[in-house]
Amino acid sequence: MKFLCVRCDVPLKLLETRPPADGSLTILYACPTCGHRVAMLTNPHETQLVTSLGVRLGPEERDSDRASGCPFAEVAREAAERAARDEGLEWTPEARRRLERIPEFVRPMARAGIEHYARERGLRRVDEALLDEAREHFGM
Amino acid sequence: MKTYREIVGDGGSGVAEQMAALRARVEDNLAGVRYRVAVGSGKGGVGKSTVTAHLARCLQEQGWRVAILDADLNGPCQARLAGLAPSPPVPGSRGLVVPRGATGVGVLSLGSFLEERAPLEFESVAQGDTHVWRATREFGLLGELLASAEWGELDLLLLDLPPGVERTVQYATYLGPAARVLLITTPSGLAQGVVARSLEALRREGRVPVGYVENMSGYYCEGCRKVQPLFPRSAAILDGLPCLGSLPFDPVLASAEIAGAAAAHAHRPAVRALRAAARRLREALEAREAES
Repeated sequence: MKFLCVRCDVPLKLLETRPPADGSLTILYACPTCGHRVAMLTNPHETQLVTSLGVRLGPEERDSDRASGCPFAEVAREAAERAARDEGLEWTPEARRRLERIPEFVRPMARAGIEHYARERGLRRVDEALLDEAREHFGM
Repeated sequence: MKTYREIVGDGGSGVAEQMAALRARVEDNLAGVRYRVAVGSGKGGVGKSTVTAHLARCLQEQGWRVAILDADLNGPCQARLAGLAPSPPVPGSRGLVVPRGATGVGVLSLGSFLEERAPLEFESVAQGDTHVWRATREFGLLGELLASAEWGELDLLLLDLPPGVERTVQYATYLGPAARVLLITTPSGLAQGVVARSLEALRREGRVPVGYVENMSGYYCEGCRKVQPLFPRSAAILDGLPCLGSLPFDPVLASAEIAGAAAAHAHRPAVRALRAAARRLREALEAREAES
């Protein structure tokens, strides 16, 4: 989808994407010539359809987003990190990077399963060695 | 006033670029896979999954490195067929680890990760209207599984498709021209009618399946030690498509685990037919490769 400033005949530029509230996503566009601003407000169907594509919406991509491909990667990651902190398990940066490389859909299952495996061994920290050990343990 | 085509880019959302990037990631991750074969039918209950699992095992016996992606995301059963115990997804050094069954065939199936009775569910802000977005979400997940799993070097990746003519065509299209399609049918006119629809729909998309396998072509009678008819044979309507094998139904094989079935029952007609079908599939793939 593209937006055009009819007065200037110039395509609008995406300025900002605001996290979804009540299923609606707010995307701000501005004309680079006259500065006129427009907000696109999606209905839940539209929000879900875009989300289902597994893409990120926003004016610029950050390195941290690139790994996941999730539209609301930062929000999701913060929530996951908060949950992990609440349960007292720490993931090393290397282990976390591995986690972020697997599909977003199975990530919560992987996190829960690996943390359960770690807790059974009295561990409070997930690192690459533990992930390799889990791979052996689960016969992979 | 400018038209859509005159405006370069997509206004900054990057959606098109990200979709292209996922495609590129899939291709990059499958670079070590020689052949990709989507096993479909259009008709449900013809034995796509079982035939897929057996073909994988037979081809592995014949020296190929084989893995299966259970693309039937809503009704995954490859994990169970492979005798895989439930396990969490494990992040490996290069991506999602592909579990290996007792046969040594890699099997990536959501059935490994989801509880036996749990349906596949996605978080959504539009629940109750899944018809609007569900297929898109499933294809997104399929792409991620293809792009993120540790497939490594394989001779063959088999994709076990869900039923439905439209799904068969959608998957074939999504997987691109590098993927061959193998159709599974039974001798019944009912099944063949639906499979013929799949065949025609695929042809209209410019896709010619590598062949078909006729499953349940009869049943192996223990009493008379012969293969007896199981369905009244209907007029062939898959003419022009090579038949790569006719597989009799064998209750002994059906109750055996895939892992040991071929070795333990090597003398049975069903195993001999499976091995022959696997060999013909291999030859058909190599012939197509030589043509292209």
